[in-house]
Formats: sequence, structure tokens, C-alpha cells
Amino acid sequence: MKSEDKSNPDTVQKEDAGDGVSRRDFLSSATAAGLAAASLGTSEKALTQEFAQTRVAALAPPSAMQQSMEDDTPAGYSSEEAQEYFVKNPGSDFMVDILKHLGFDYITTNPGSSFRGIHESIVNYGGNQAPELIEASHEEIATAMNHGYYKVTGRPLAMLAHGTVGLQHAAMAVYNAWCDRAPMVILAGNHLDVQDRRPGVEWSHSAQDCIRVVRDYIKWDDNPVSLPHFAESMARAYKIAMTPPMGPVAITLDGHLQEMEVGDQQLMMPAMTPTQPPSGDWAAVREAADWLVEAENPVIVVDLMSHDQEGMERLIALAEALQAPVVNQYGRTNFPNNHHLSQGASVIAQADLILGLELYDTWGTINSLRDRVHKDELRKARPDARVIDIGTKELFWRSNYQSFQRYYAADLSISGDAQTTLPVLTEAVQSAMSRSRRSSNGEREERWRAAHLRAREQAVDAARYAWNASPVSTARLYAELWNVVKDRDWALVSDDNQQSRWARRLWPIDKHYQWIGRSGGAGLGYGAPSALGAALAHRPEGRLAINVQRDGDMMYVPGTFWTAAHHGIPMLTVTHDNQGYHQEFMHLQRMSARRQRGIDGSSWIGNELRNPDIDLAKIVEGMGVWSEGPYTDPKDVGPAIARALDVVDSGEPAFVHVRTQPR
Amino acid sequence: MIIPRALYPFALVALSLWFDASMAQDTAEEGRALFESHQCWQCHGYEGQGGGAGVRITPMLYPFEAFSQLVRHTNLMPAYSPNVLSDENLRLIWEFVRSIPEPPALEDIPELNLE
Repeated sequence: MKSEDKSNPDTVQKEDAGDGVSRRDFLSSATAAGLAAASLGTSEKALTQEFAQTRVAALAPPSAMQQSMEDDTPAGYSSEEAQEYFVKNPGSDFMVDILKHLGFDYITTNPGSSFRGIHESIVNYGGNQAPELIEASHEEIATAMNHGYYKVTGRPLAMLAHGTVGLQHAAMAVYNAWCDRAPMVILAGNHLDVQDRRPGVEWSHSAQDCIRVVRDYIKWDDNPVSLPHFAESMARAYKIAMTPPMGPVAITLDGHLQEMEVGDQQLMMPAMTPTQPPSGDWAAVREAADWLVEAENPVIVVDLMSHDQEGMERLIALAEALQAPVVNQYGRTNFPNNHHLSQGASVIAQADLILGLELYDTWGTINSLRDRVHKDELRKARPDARVIDIGTKELFWRSNYQSFQRYYAADLSISGDAQTTLPVLTEAVQSAMSRSRRSSNGEREERWRAAHLRAREQAVDAARYAWNASPVSTARLYAELWNVVKDRDWALVSDDNQQSRWARRLWPIDKHYQWIGRSGGAGLGYGAPSALGAALAHRPEGRLAINVQRDGDMMYVPGTFWTAAHHGIPMLTVTHDNQGYHQEFMHLQRMSARRQRGIDGSSWIGNELRNPDIDLAKIVEGMGVWSEGPYTDPKDVGPAIARALDVVDSGEPAFVHVRTQPR
Repeated sequence: MIIPRALYPFALVALSLWFDASMAQDTAEEGRALFESHQCWQCHGYEGQGGGAGVRITPMLYPFEAFSQLVRHTNLMPAYSPNVLSDENLRLIWEFVRSIPEPPALEDIPELNLE
């Protein structure tokens, strides 16, 4: 053990309380919330300050009873007896110190005996504050909540998983987070030492290599065998998770380590310093700037780029410097959709230069694959269009899962976090611009303003069609929602891709927190819990969180709504209930047509969520959530949403069940 | 009711118009049933409004021949051959799509005044 080093403010010692140095004193030291912000070059001073205050409040001195339990042998017990029955200073208390040190706001979980030690420490030693336990009825819910929370705050949460079984339940949500580059710290309870396992279940819930089940789609993991090892690995895990390209990490919590008596061991809190994100090579960035300035029709395509509002501002600066259109693929809120340079994907076909920023799929941006018997490739871009690809995808991938997409040889490929690289690129663009190029910006702006206005008018016009249809059109659903929420500080906490992208087409989305992107791995069971995680993040800000909930997704994770009610997380949910797995209808239809067997009614088989029809409103009502519906008449939708909003305003979740057109 | 002989021509025209309208309605209804059973609505919506999965097909501006060409020899949607959808039934679907009424005008939908 290292000796105490009070000269380093980031070094904290854990000692017996009786020695005069409170183990809670470390709170005044480093704050990981600040680390998260600093590593991305953002200014979140206020946020950091708030976290520091939260932690101080969470760590009030222990009560007299707690102190007595910790320090003294209870009356009526010999000291030998007390050693058999009681633990004064359990290892999991130190683990909670580490969680607090790293600044986790919440820790999501479905409870399990493999982490009963730290469960107790969080509740009693940590006072269930920062981190506060959020209880979920399934690990997939707990994990996806972390995913949604990160998308809003830029801060990771931790998730407690019950060893082998818990991780297997969590696996799908971990995979989504991996594909979507969302950081989180998974803590998996496990019992390594056979002498420590109780007979029966504890054996089937333990593994030699507990994390293996998710290792293909996390950035890093470790299996600490001592408390100092745990402290060091947690600090490393946090840094790895939060360094772009971000992603989930996992640490096992050995049962013995959690429950052991620490005694007089002096344990150190590791110092934390932010890791600066990787930036593109300067010479390559300057070359990219030259190409952008020379191009007649440069187009910027952006996907998983913006970590925060600063990312949006940086992209606006580059796009305006060039007056180049931006195609947002909406992996993040990268660019305001009401900006005149926000354009549809069709502009890619006109480009002589395409700048890709953190593209999830560069090949698919430039090409398409026709889904016919022979899958032929078509280039969407001009044959002579050059492509610059800036991003971290080459720093990220593993071998087994194929989420890395088709290989594309960009003309200039720059490895680096795009948000970090943008200011340098914009500065280089400004320097490289000739007077005549600069003077062409006026004409370019005029052209893109006209195109933007046209697209906007077309979108609003398209929303008229099926306006009075029953079941309700998805355009009407979003228009009715907008009329109720437009004067609020709102945030959409779901993806509108399956609803014909009506939010992006109709609502002005110009703040980073107003949109949380997509799931990543397209695994169902992400929507409801990630929305709730995002709503949890919006709660202290008083923002209205709006979740448009698909029926198929909800049936994977209905317990999400119990968590919403249990923890009083306000969220307005309106359903997109098309009574089936709609994507699969179309695949079955395509196969039937291709084989010339016809589809006369048979596409429901294996794809439907009806017969019996599912009363989603009743399901959530049974879990304590205010609900109305199902509604199929569009005239009922607006008033129902207004009533639901009253409930949300009172701090509770509310749910309006609407049956809709397929998309 | 006795119709004066002098009005016979008018009565015949009226009857003929009524019959045509009724036939057209029957045709459209038949077409709607086929539109639904062949799952056209999955991508194009029950009212042909289109969306993320398929284009809007109303108002139907194509003559039947062009419409048929798009359904049979397509780049995007699954190709429906005459073996699974006869010309006669495809025409009924086309008749139905043509019969879908115009949606309300924008000025009649206050909810779409989004500014």
C-alpha cells in the first residue's frame, strides 16, 4: 500500500474513521464530471460545480449509529465473535468512494446477490446519492438507460450487472452502445474463489472470465483482484470509455473483494487527468482545407460527430465559411435543421467533393446496393467526386461483429475526432480562401436558402396527406405533438426514423440536447429505456422529454415504464403503434414477390402484434403510469396529449396510446 | 313514379351517370380491398400518403400503363409479376388510388401552421 500523500489534491486516502482523517474528505478533490467536459474541450464549468456540490451533499458525515457500528464491537459480543459476525470496513465502501470520485450521478441496476456488498454500500455508506441507484426490471433496460443519459449529458453512468446472467441480459443494450459509441461503465458481480462461493446458484452465476460474453463489443475490461487494483482499473476504464471513439467498458466486482474486511489497509484514490481527444494530422487537415476551397460543390455529410452544443457550433462555422450544404445523418444532433445550409441527402449526387465527418457508413453514403436477386452496386455520388473522411472509425473496430460496414477508400482519410479537428480545419479553410472564392459565398448562400425553403414547404405540404386518416398518420402525430410542446423547453428522446422522419422534417431542432440519435446496433428494446435515461438527464433541467414509442420496441422492455413511475421521471410518451414488426412485413413481402408466390394477406404471419390487440395503455397503467387510449381517431390525439402534459408537468410520466399508420 | 315520355332522354342520362358513379365506387372499393390484401399500404400508407418506406402515390398522375410499368419493372419496390397480381387487379388498385380524395388544403389545417 502506498502511504498517504496529502500534497496531491487528487490523492485520497481511505482510513478508519477513528484515525482523524475522514475517508470522505476526498470529495473536495478531482471531479470526473469536469474530466468529461475537459476532454472534449467544452466549457461545462457550471456543470462541474454543480456536481461537486451534489457530491458534497451526498457525503454528509456518518450518523452516530453508523459511526458506532464501524468503530466499536457491539455490546454483548466478544471481539472474536464480532469478527465472525460483523465487518467494520468492507471493501465495497471503498468501491463506492471510487464511484463518487469518478462522479457518477446514477448507477442503474437489476439487483443480484453477486453485488450485494456494493449494493449495501451504495445505499447505506454512500447515502444512495451520487450515485443513486436506479432500479430496472431488466438489465437491458438498465444499460439502455445509461446510453440515453450519456447522449444528453455527455457523462457516463455505471450499470451493476449480476454476473453471468445479468451480463447476458444486458448484452443487447451493450452492443447498441458499442455501435453508437456511447460510453458507460459496466460493473459485473462475480465470485472468483471457489471457496467463497455458496453451493448452488452462486456457481452458475460465476465465471472464470465473466466479461467474455460482451468482450467483442466493449473497449476494455479488467478483473481486479485487489482493492488498489480495482481503483486503478476504474480510473483507467473511465478514461478509456470517455476518450473518442467512446464506448462501453466493463470491470468485474469480485464478491470477496466487496465483502472482505479492509482493516487498516491504506487505500489510494487514483489521480484523474483528462485525456485529450485525438485530432487530425495538421498537414492532412491543411490539404483537406485546400480541396474544400477548390471544390465547386463541396458537401459536408455528418453522422456520429457532435458530442455537445460546441460540436454544432463548430460545424456551423465550417459550413458557413464555405457556404457548403450539410447533410445530417442524425447519429447525433450535428447541425440545426432550420439552418439554410441544412439540406437533404440528394445534394450528395451533385457534389464534386464530399467531406465525411464521423460517418458510420462511408461506403453507404457514396453508394447504394439494390436489393434484388443480384445485388448490384450503384454509385450515388458523381464518378469524379473526391471524398475526405475525418473520424475515429479506424481506432475503434474489433473483428467479429461486422458493424464496421463496407470498406471505402477515401481520397483523403484522416484519423481524429472530427469535433476536435474542426476548428483547425475551419481556420485552414479561412486562410486558404481567395477573395474571389469568398465573394462567391453570397450567391451560394442565396441558392441554398432557396433550396432549404423549398424542402421545408414540401415537407409541410406532404404532412397534409392522410391528415384525417384512421389509424392516425405519423405526420399528424408529430404535428399534434408539436402544437402542444412548441412553447416549452422540449427534447425528443426517441428516434423518428420509423415515423418517416417527421420530427426532423417538421420540428426545428437546433439544440444538441433536443435529439438523441439512434440505437447504434438497431436492436429492439433500446427505444423505451434510452428515452427514459434521456428523460432522467432532462429532469433537473426541467425540460419536457417526449418519447414517441414504437409498439414492437416496447414489448421487449415494458418494465421501463415501471421504472419511470417508481423513480418519478417525467416523460411524455405517445405511441407509434402500427400493430406489428413493420420492417419485417416489407421483407416478407419482398421475398414473396421475388419468388412469385404472392403476399395476399400472409405478410401478417410471424410479424403481427394483434390478435389479440395489445392494450399498451393498460399495460403501463398496471405499472402506475397515467395513460389514455388506444386512440385511432386523429381528432382525439391533440386533446389527449394536452391532458398528458398536465400529468408530466406534475413530475410524473404519462402515456398516450395511439394506433397509427405503418410509417 | 311515372316519368313523362318527354323526359325519357334525361332520365336515361341520369340513370347512366348514377350507374357509372356506382360502378366507379364499386371498382374503387374492390381496388381498396386489393390494395390492402396485397399490402401496398405497408410502404405507401392506407391513403397512399407514402413516407419513409415508400413514395407518395396520391394524387395518381400516371396513366395505367406507366403505373403498371413501375409496379412490374421497378428499381426500389419488390417487382409484382402478373403471376401474383393480374393486370385486372392491378388496374383496380390503380382505380382505387385515383379515387383517393385530395387532403385538406394547408390553410384548413391550423396544426400545420408551424411557424
